[in-house]
Amino acid sequence: MALVHKLLNGTYILRKCLKPSVASCPFLGTRSADYCSSSLEKPAAAPGKASSQRKTEGNLEGHHQREVALDITSPEDKPEVSFDKAIKEEIKDHFRRLKNDIVNHWIGPEGRPLHEVLMEQAKVVWQFRGKEDLDKWIVTSDKAIGGRSEVFLKMGKSNRSALLYGTLSSEAPQDGESDRSGYCAMISKIPRGPFERKTFYDWSQFNTLYLRVRGDGRPWMVNIREDMDIIQRKDQMYSYFMFTRGGPYWQEVKIPFSKFFFSNRGRIRDAQYQLLLDKISSIGFTLADKVDGPFFLEIDFIGVFTDPAHTEEFAYENSPELSPRLFK
Amino acid sequence: MSWAQGILLARGLSRGWGGICSTALTGVPFSQGPPQAPRGLHCSTAAHNPDSSLVPRPPEPPRGPVKALAPHVELFRQAPDGVRDKASFVQAVQNFTQYNVHKRGHVDFIYLALRKMREYGVERDLAVYNLLLDIFPKEVFRPRNIFHSIFLHYPRQQECGIAVLEQMENHGVMPNKETEFLLIQIFGRKSHPMLKFVRMKLWFTRFKNIDPFPISRDLPQDPVDLASLALRHMEPDLSARVTVYQMPLSKDSRDATDPTEPHIIGIQSPDQQAALAHHDPARPIFVEGPFSLWLRDKCVYYHILRADLLPPEERLDLAYGRSSWDDYEFNINEVEEGPVFAICMAGAHDQATLAKWIQGLQETNPALDRIPVVFRLSGSSGELLASSSGLEEPPLTPPEGQEEEENNQQRQQQSQS
Repeated sequence: MALVHKLLNGTYILRKCLKPSVASCPFLGTRSADYCSSSLEKPAAAPGKASSQRKTEGNLEGHHQREVALDITSPEDKPEVSFDKAIKEEIKDHFRRLKNDIVNHWIGPEGRPLHEVLMEQAKVVWQFRGKEDLDKWIVTSDKAIGGRSEVFLKMGKSNRSALLYGTLSSEAPQDGESDRSGYCAMISKIPRGPFERKTFYDWSQFNTLYLRVRGDGRPWMVNIREDMDIIQRKDQMYSYFMFTRGGPYWQEVKIPFSKFFFSNRGRIRDAQYQLLLDKISSIGFTLADKVDGPFFLEIDFIGVFTDPAHTEEFAYENSPELSPRLFK
Repeated sequence: MSWAQGILLARGLSRGWGGICSTALTGVPFSQGPPQAPRGLHCSTAAHNPDSSLVPRPPEPPRGPVKALAPHVELFRQAPDGVRDKASFVQAVQNFTQYNVHKRGHVDFIYLALRKMREYGVERDLAVYNLLLDIFPKEVFRPRNIFHSIFLHYPRQQECGIAVLEQMENHGVMPNKETEFLLIQIFGRKSHPMLKFVRMKLWFTRFKNIDPFPISRDLPQDPVDLASLALRHMEPDLSARVTVYQMPLSKDSRDATDPTEPHIIGIQSPDQQAALAHHDPARPIFVEGPFSLWLRDKCVYYHILRADLLPPEERLDLAYGRSSWDDYEFNINEVEEGPVFAICMAGAHDQATLAKWIQGLQETNPALDRIPVVFRLSGSSGELLASSSGLEEPPLTPPEGQEEEENNQQRQQQSQS
């Protein structure tokens, strides 16, 4: 275990971690510090997150520092969890997953036979049918920078959908440097393999994102982040807008991946490149439409599929006025 | 080489203070201390002596105690009976330019004017933004040689220009040719405000029509019109008909949301009418609500009339034949909910108003008088939180739990007798 920890720590030296203690705890499931720009503070507490924090409580090893955020849940857990037993179970679980991974590699990608993966034209990536599906998501709001918006995530009616609801407040935090505020976001956690190794989604055969949602008429922004293991790119993401209709009917939103534009640190970049789908790390929904008030979004499932009628590769041209270096 | 190091340090500091538009820009005005007239290197110092100006200027208006943080606030202060609109805003701006030929402190003034725009209601008016840009002295801030263009020439003024454009961007105002001409005249073609203008022109035109359910910016003020717009927005079936079941009291009573006579407007499509006619009278139908709908920045509430799902054994299972190669179905059972028969929007959210809606619906759906109607008037699954001050029609706060069954037949008999 110490060897694995040293190996994992070696990869972490390459990234500029804001909190070194986070890097030394590779078994934390709720690590949003790596890729959220609002991660300087603790993320807003959500019911789904708290349960996952409690799960990973048991696998802290003795010589790691404890994260401050986890201390909030630890007093409740002490009578339930026996430290050594939990660690042993976690170790066994990771080894089991490693064995499954190696065995699945012989069967085919992701454990399914190759012909099934190649012929697939529609795939459900995230669904919301139980509490454990909510654990794959993190919710943040501008409370992290001192604002007043609140956001919560819970299961919807009869456990068949997820409901993201809250209040948006564009009152700017009084910290002397921000003059605009008011955002809420729901971001998926980075997929992890055995020993919390970062994996990614491979959607290279698909070309459209499909969401079945029911909103309240507000415009949302869908953000996709790529896997950035080799190159440090935590500020870059691809985004597009999702307009909800509102009303009692379920809405199908289809966004082709060629429409996503590239942005760095929250600003649209002048030189645009298309979204490459072979290493997708996470997807997120943001609401920041400068209108104060309560909001909600019900999500049934999120999938990807191949739209045979969509042949566009990339929707945005580069202009010589804004990026002259590309046209030399 | 110390002067070069000094210049580089100054450049680094000005960039570090967010001078370039590509990094996060703050709108907080930088207090410049005593406002200085911008001095270009090319101007001789003799010309800037205000006492010896050649043009006879009108006497300075008596200025009150000037606070360090808001140098020109008194220009926007007006008589208590003055109305805050575009004319008075333009008047205040012209006052500044009139009494201040050398435009001292124009950066602070422009920041102040940008903050005051919302009060005067002109934040979406392009002519006013062009007027603000007109305050800048022309031709002074343009870079003339390579040293000007390497180093950020007049950084505070460029930041101010960017702030004006950024407020335009936030309110969705598209700049026009006049703005472009002004920016070129003031800052030159290679400056940061001009770059931002090019970016706005590009991205605004790209994203102008991406909303598949567009709503115009000026929403109707009349609640009946607003409600019918919202109902049409929600209902995808174009053959649906909007019916006004009750109009609010006339305007001279000065109360559009009078609890005794609120407006009730409903929508129903022919398919829904047919479905309601075929509905089994043994199963109740529910009036659910209120649910919220946002139109731009207005929140309205609606109720729906729906039935529960049929139990699995009675459901029709339409198995689509699949071709052997193409399979675009998702391998998941989608959320199914009972069919919606009608949607309505009303001025009040209590049971009496909704009962009137049901009675109105009965005229077109005679099957409705045999079907029991249950009123479930809570915001379902926590979508409805405590109303904030910006909402137009706050929901009914007392009934948080579910109300009990109300048989429609009884109500009908009572109203008829």
